[in-house]
Amino acid sequence: MRPSTALLSLEQTPPLSVPLRFFLTAPLFGIAAALLALWLGPEAMGSRWQPGVLAFTHLLTLGFLAMVMFGAMFQLLPVLVGVQLRRPVPTSAAIHLLLSGGTLLLVAAFLSDHNAWFIAAAVVLALALGLFIIVIGHALWQARSTHETVCAMKLAVVALAATLVLGLLLVLANIGSDLAPLRALIDVHLAWGLPGWAGLLLVGVAYQVVPMFQITAEYAPRLRRWFAWAVLLLLIAWSLAFLHLPALAWLPGSGLAAAFVLFAVVTLRLQHKRLRRLPDVTVDFWYLGLACLLLAAGLWLLHQFAPQLIRAQWFHLWWGVLVLIGGAGAVISGMLYKIVPFLIWLHLNNRMQQAGLWQGDIPTMRQVISERSARRHLYLHGAATVLLLAGVAWPTLVFYPALLLLAAAYALQLWNLLGALRIYRAVVQQAVTP
Amino acid sequence: MQDAERSIDVSALGPPEPLLLTLAAVEQLRAGEYLRMRHRMKPCLLYDELQRRGYGHDTRRGDNGLCEVFIWRHGDNAAAAAARNAAAALSPWIDA
Repeated sequence: MRPSTALLSLEQTPPLSVPLRFFLTAPLFGIAAALLALWLGPEAMGSRWQPGVLAFTHLLTLGFLAMVMFGAMFQLLPVLVGVQLRRPVPTSAAIHLLLSGGTLLLVAAFLSDHNAWFIAAAVVLALALGLFIIVIGHALWQARSTHETVCAMKLAVVALAATLVLGLLLVLANIGSDLAPLRALIDVHLAWGLPGWAGLLLVGVAYQVVPMFQITAEYAPRLRRWFAWAVLLLLIAWSLAFLHLPALAWLPGSGLAAAFVLFAVVTLRLQHKRLRRLPDVTVDFWYLGLACLLLAAGLWLLHQFAPQLIRAQWFHLWWGVLVLIGGAGAVISGMLYKIVPFLIWLHLNNRMQQAGLWQGDIPTMRQVISERSARRHLYLHGAATVLLLAGVAWPTLVFYPALLLLAAAYALQLWNLLGALRIYRAVVQQAVTP
Repeated sequence: MQDAERSIDVSALGPPEPLLLTLAAVEQLRAGEYLRMRHRMKPCLLYDELQRRGYGHDTRRGDNGLCEVFIWRHGDNAAAAAARNAAAALSPWIDA
């Protein structure tokens, strides 16, 4: 087995509040998405073009996925890349506030269809994402590390910038009737946001955290070197083809699907051969997530080459559930169950050292969030994914139980993460009490 | 020189166990002994802790590609010489 080349510099870790404010807010948006869908009912959630579905989707993409990914970037940049961010506490607090507010404004805009809400949402989200892109992008381009994670992160930030610009153009298209042709950009916006920003960042972070926390061998250096660039070039080719040569869009599109299938298969192989074969809920979250990503890629290929086999309306909703909830949602949740306990342990360790109490009574990572409670979340998340997929075909039967399960899954995740914070506070309190 | 060597393999463990077990192992070193620690990645968090506790170290790439760290107590010249001698058989660790 080859060793990891990960360059950890943990003494540079930012204050605990920096990542945790993002990690603890994300499940709230997940709960909000499920409650919103329950309130709107199945009639308002039957097609990707309905305002309710757009609001639900953005609560998950901006409120959950981007929220966790922003927090993870603030944490991982100093630690994995060795770049010190200037004034991380106020910067992260401002971005967190703007992202939360902007997401809620966008949901209000979709539901009310008032131009004023759209303009307000666009301004606030442009500030949130723009500030993040400037701060994180500047830090990434200062990094001396040549690790492939840095490259994937840089290209992910480029994809985020493209997603933002395309999103702003779509807002313009929505509020100005003479700009309606810009609506053709919806699928391009989606491609740069999901396989682009979310996909590239997940892959880049996986290069480090899968070998480190799941005790696997490293991803092959050759794969790490070309993967992010290939995804970016395929995205550019697909976007141009989709807009100007639609008959040929299947070609770069199939390339994108193949790239993520390869990543999923390689990751599953690494996990299958991991050195320590103890039960690990994080690995099981990854199994669920990668299985859903494989299904999503297969579904996309089927829709491209045999569209008559699936109703377009069902395809869009299934693909969305598989990528947003079953795929990226599960993988990110799994990573949180390693990253949060490790951060709690690390910061407790630092606090104990400052107090001259090395290794006093610091709980282990498994005590910070127990395997059993994380596994309950996994089962709820998996069951919600399966029921949501079924609910696309049989909404009257399955819609409400599926969304109740989804709300319960996010609520349990929030409870587990808050439990980690409670343990941190209790240990610190105990240590400082004479 | 082999008698001077104590070894620990943490390559199948996840954070923070490699750090905790290694720090526990170095505390058990007797005069003239050094610790040879094997890990699948460079244990960057370890170095500050070793520095703070008064230990020297030398990091090498093992034949099997694993990261090997040789650790001795500052001031223990016999242990330092034995550790450096053993480390010299391996190639230096070069960060990516």
